Amino acid sequence: MSKFKGAVITAKSGTEKTIIDMLEKTIDKGVFDAIIIPMRVPAGDSFAYVLIKDKSLLNDASVLPPTMFVQGAKAVSSVTRLGKGKTKIAAVMRPCEVRATIELAKLGQVDLENMTIISMDCPGVLPSSDFLKDPEKNIKLFNEAAKKLDDTIMRPVCQICNKSSMVSGDIHIGTLGAKKDAFFFISNSEKGEKVANKLGINLKDNIDSWQTKVKTISEEKHEKRKKAHKELKTKVGGIDNLVETFSHCINCHNCMRVCPVCICRLCYFDSDKVKHPADDYLERTESKGSMRFLPDTTLFQMGRMMHMSISCVSCGACEDACSMSIPVAQIFSMIADETQALFDYVSGRRLDESIPIVAYKEEELHEVEDAND
Amino acid sequence: MERKIGVYVCECGPNIAEKIDIDKVIEEISSNNDVAVVEKYKLLCSSDGKKFLEEEIKKQGLTHLVIAACSPKEHEKTFMEVSENAGLNPYLFQLANIREQCAWITEDKDEATKKAIRLIRAAIGRVRYHSSLEKKEIESNPDVLVIGGGIAGIEASLQLASPERKVYLVEKTPELGGLVTNFEKNFLSMKSLSEIINSKIEEINTNENIKVFTSSEVEETVGFFGNFEIKVKQANSEEDPIQFNVGSIVVAIGSTLFDPKKIPEYGCGKLDNVITSLEFEKMNKSGKISLKNGKPPKSVAIIHCVGRDEKGYCSEICCMYSIKFARYLTDKIPSVKVSNLYSDLCIPGKTNQKFYEQTIGKNVNFIRSSDAEIIKSKDQLSIKYNDENGSKSNLIVDMVVLAPAVEPAVDASKIAEIIGISQGDEGFFEEEHEKINPISTSTEGIYIIGCAQSPKNISETLIQSEAAAGKILSSLIPGRKIEPEVKTSQISEALCIGCKTCLYVCSYGAITFDESKKISVVNEVICRGCGNCVAACPSGAASIKHFKFKQLYQEIREAVK
Repeated sequence: MSKFKGAVITAKSGTEKTIIDMLEKTIDKGVFDAIIIPMRVPAGDSFAYVLIKDKSLLNDASVLPPTMFVQGAKAVSSVTRLGKGKTKIAAVMRPCEVRATIELAKLGQVDLENMTIISMDCPGVLPSSDFLKDPEKNIKLFNEAAKKLDDTIMRPVCQICNKSSMVSGDIHIGTLGAKKDAFFFISNSEKGEKVANKLGINLKDNIDSWQTKVKTISEEKHEKRKKAHKELKTKVGGIDNLVETFSHCINCHNCMRVCPVCICRLCYFDSDKVKHPADDYLERTESKGSMRFLPDTTLFQMGRMMHMSISCVSCGACEDACSMSIPVAQIFSMIADETQALFDYVSGRRLDESIPIVAYKEEELHEVEDAND
Repeated sequence: MERKIGVYVCECGPNIAEKIDIDKVIEEISSNNDVAVVEKYKLLCSSDGKKFLEEEIKKQGLTHLVIAACSPKEHEKTFMEVSENAGLNPYLFQLANIREQCAWITEDKDEATKKAIRLIRAAIGRVRYHSSLEKKEIESNPDVLVIGGGIAGIEASLQLASPERKVYLVEKTPELGGLVTNFEKNFLSMKSLSEIINSKIEEINTNENIKVFTSSEVEETVGFFGNFEIKVKQANSEEDPIQFNVGSIVVAIGSTLFDPKKIPEYGCGKLDNVITSLEFEKMNKSGKISLKNGKPPKSVAIIHCVGRDEKGYCSEICCMYSIKFARYLTDKIPSVKVSNLYSDLCIPGKTNQKFYEQTIGKNVNFIRSSDAEIIKSKDQLSIKYNDENGSKSNLIVDMVVLAPAVEPAVDASKIAEIIGISQGDEGFFEEEHEKINPISTSTEGIYIIGCAQSPKNISETLIQSEAAAGKILSSLIPGRKIEPEVKTSQISEALCIGCKTCLYVCSYGAITFDESKKISVVNEVICRGCGNCVAACPSGAASIKHFKFKQLYQEIREAVK
């Protein structure tokens, strides 16, 4: 049944503590020189990605923080944007962050050669604004909800995420379907096997119970996702609805700035290309009699959909960053599903799967070709 | 910037004047921003018309020029020249085609006039954002790269090398000469080949205009006719590839033989004294034709057409060299009996028939046969075959020589990819046209000669070497100037994210990656301005001169408003 190799790890001291212990061990044994992992900031009200070399600091790290202020792919990309270093790094991220990282690797924005990616079954994350209202209380709420697999307090896109256990990194920690005080160590690459080897983990255990549970949940979520998208489409589908949906966009471009796969150094919509002489704007008022400023808000969203929906991993960072509460991530998750299906592509599924723009196929898109016949 | 745009509408005799209300066009266009003058003229491409334009540009002090006339294919160059002569940068000009897709396609004068106005407005909108572009001129490189040091490549190199033209001859093996160095004699004249070949190699080695690279392979070629950049890598060398430029490339990598082991009925590689034609040539050249036990054979069968059915083509040369083998044998072992088992004899030409007739005799016979199968028969070999009438026959001989089909060289696909030429169904390099352009390829300046193009004998090969030399000598004249594309791609250093997408889509090898800066860089001399990279660039870093966003945006806006 399984394409993965896995081992059951007993975790008497709790899953998170056991994982942290394992990470400490990897540093002791020289498997990794450093680990990039979320950590609760000293003030206690936030979690940030930290590159840890001193293993004692790992005690404050959080494998599965309740929020995602910075998308992990952005963090690891910042580390190796200019190429790999000599240091061997392990990156601990959520599955959607891993998938964004894989997309960035395809676009040369992160160098994975010396990097090992570790993911974990994800229960979702709390919307940042909710979390910030009372961090202490919300950490507790999150942990309880995570335990019960209750996603109702998570980001809306987390509630319809059917890839929350997708393994596309090197190592995955499976908690679903595991016995009490145990989790699955799942390897998805040679790198993963090497780490297991160094840690003395024998990848020969049966992981069927994890796979069965993952299958059930992702199928449930998939149905939920389809339903949600269908409903959403009636609200935002068509140009009039779309304009209305984005009508309170303030053009801050925060959604673009936090998006892990928005890779342009200068967004087209921030460039001189969309700055026109006053007379041109006046001309544009001719047909409708007026023109709204700041201009091109819907166009900006549509441009982004065209540009990055192929690589969108539905992480929800954009929606979290939207100060006007526009359901950007939900809309993008819907568009992304459709554009990716068009090319039989799933963003971040595999590193060796080329992004459609460079994968030339003679036989494709015939259905669009004859759209005007 | 103060713009003074001049718009000139050509009547094109009656072609445009009768279908478009030019006066109405002029009236509409005159009110456009920055338009200093709108005039019509009978025939702008006439010498009077050109003179009129040139004077107008100077007199009006125009900063930009729009001409509404025919298709750019017809006269864009003409009017660019006029601009240049008048001291206006030719790229500050835009041609609006109001003839082919406007005047000529409708009887409705009103509609045609409306469309003409839109097209001219679009041209004005666009030209406003044009910038001056500088033409570059580089001297075309007269030098030639010859790939393959066999007889084809050797002859082409000797024909081409001169004090004005260097030839780089790249040979994969350690020695020049290729396949023919295994042959003692060539057919028809039955004269020694070694002397001819050795003297040619000697000539190559002493010719200071020919640079020979042996044990070397071409690793990369980018560029176009008159300006190819070449990288050659020496085998087992740690050093960086050697780089040089040439204007033309001759591909003469020869061929190889079909492996008779693929047809088990022949027992090749399993039975003693069953050898291939090449092994026989080598054995003959070494001075002694003998069996495994050292004794000379008393009877030899030569089986033609080995692999012809598998390959699906006749290799042309096997019949003639098989007749030559009969001559080798009868010359050296007078009592030997030679049987040629063929399915079809291929002996065309003015002298081949005579050679065949001189060879056939009491000791040399030709048997039309099929489905030969060889088995051991005591110390000899027994060949079972179907004769011409379909009856089973048997032939006992001491030795069997197999004449296998000629196949494309092992490296053919690799070379095709490196150089960017195509292969036909059989795997040989594809000529531009089998009859009219048999040695040209679809890429200007790249030629295919000898057995790399198709199986052929030495004289046909030499004809192609001379043909390639002729093509190059007549077109790649030293001192000839070439103009690289002006409207090239540019990649912004500030915007490039280093994803290398453009490298995958560039058809000309014009983009390289700067590893230290992690950005893509365009080689402007090689770029042909196709725009692939611009379309594919995910970060908006690539743009193409003269097709800038603003230019296109304004053009479209004016056309559709």
